[in-house]
Amino acid sequence: MKRRTLVSRLARLAPALAAALVTGGCVTATVDEMVFNEPAEGVGDASVVILGRRHASDYETEPDFIQCVGKHIQRGDPSINVIGELEFLNSLYPWFEPRTAPLRPADLDRLIAQPPVAQKLASLQTEYLIWVDGSTVQTNSAGSMTCGVGPGGAGCFGFGTWGNDSTYEATIWDFTDRAEVGRVNTSASGQSYMPAVIVPIPIIAPVQGTACDGLGDQLLKFLSSEL
Amino acid sequence: MSGSMTSAPDRRPWTGALLLAALLALAGCGAKEVVVQGQFPQPLMSKLPLTLGVWYEPAFREHEFFDEAKGRAESDWLVRTGEAQVELWDTLLNGMFERVVPMDARPAPEQMNPAVDAVLIPRVDELQYAIPAQTNIKVYEIWMRYAFELVTTQGETIADWTMTAYGKTPTAFLQSDEAAVNLAAVVALRDAGAHFATSFTRVPEVAAWMESLEAPAAVAAAPEEGQEEGP
Repeated sequence: MKRRTLVSRLARLAPALAAALVTGGCVTATVDEMVFNEPAEGVGDASVVILGRRHASDYETEPDFIQCVGKHIQRGDPSINVIGELEFLNSLYPWFEPRTAPLRPADLDRLIAQPPVAQKLASLQTEYLIWVDGSTVQTNSAGSMTCGVGPGGAGCFGFGTWGNDSTYEATIWDFTDRAEVGRVNTSASGQSYMPAVIVPIPIIAPVQGTACDGLGDQLLKFLSSEL
Repeated sequence: MSGSMTSAPDRRPWTGALLLAALLALAGCGAKEVVVQGQFPQPLMSKLPLTLGVWYEPAFREHEFFDEAKGRAESDWLVRTGEAQVELWDTLLNGMFERVVPMDARPAPEQMNPAVDAVLIPRVDELQYAIPAQTNIKVYEIWMRYAFELVTTQGETIADWTMTAYGKTPTAFLQSDEAAVNLAAVVALRDAGAHFATSFTRVPEVAAWMESLEAPAAVAAAPEEGQEEGP
């Protein structure tokens, strides 16, 4: 009786499993770029800092996404010095915390008017400040999974699926001119699946990773002289 | 010892599994405890030319927040912030003021304390937290309300004011509730430091007191300049 139930359940799940394996982990992404004043010869010896915006009450720009974009840029052009987000925030504490961070390029004047801040920025040779605002959210989920532990072992049975949406916008500020020089938007969405017959097999759509690559590529084009 | 070894094979095979299941079930009922730990940077600012005394009340040094579970599905929460509070405020104040002196006791008329311009006494009035299990928002949050007293070495009030601080962190894969609450608390403490550092001189009573300190210094400096100009 038990075996029959299992077989009939598997038969019911088969089309969904097949669909998951065929279309599993697919991600669609779009990137929009708007550049006002691209550097003619890249950033040279100057540094770039990428910071996440964390003003909104219902979401946070993930620190690991900021790290991912920074690594993507450095992998693409090792000559670009990307200052780590936490290193920059700690060096300039408390001026770039969510409460105190400048919201407009003109606000940088207020910061640079303070000698210790101006000295620190000069020592870091920061040419561009890139603000990234956005997040990755789960849009839908369906299916069910049951897991159990028995004398003979443990296992799961079922099928789960969920969607993820990533939307990020990068705003590029020029420290020297204290002006916004570019804006890049990226959005990505994908469906992940998790069939489980004793062992769950996750087929994860790399939604955030795709958004990171899309944003990183556009920023690399802006900053690098080699591309 | 040997007795226990020989008796082991006699146990039924599912005893271990049952024990494990019971432990897993009980783990959900235990209190969750977070001792907030983090590193706090020195503020990057011109130091105020003041010698500030600081007195942390025992309740502040050992500050903790306990929240009893409201249902079976929830856990008790104990968030200890005292150590992290002292670490933050020591680092912050040392970066903000020319000299910071820890007081031996709360300033009072008969109390012998080191000579300072004023003494700051911080206090945590309220702490609230929220985890995704309680809200529909997928962030962990910590909110705190501080009360500050700036007093003379004799214990007379110069200024008292309140200030809020807020920290949140997103849900992360493989991150425990405790780790996320700790991170949210660290963000809230950083926010408290940022708020204090950027607003201290704007508190009206503090601004007036600082002006009163500067005025005698300016008066004292004026005759000297006049003497130099004379014959």
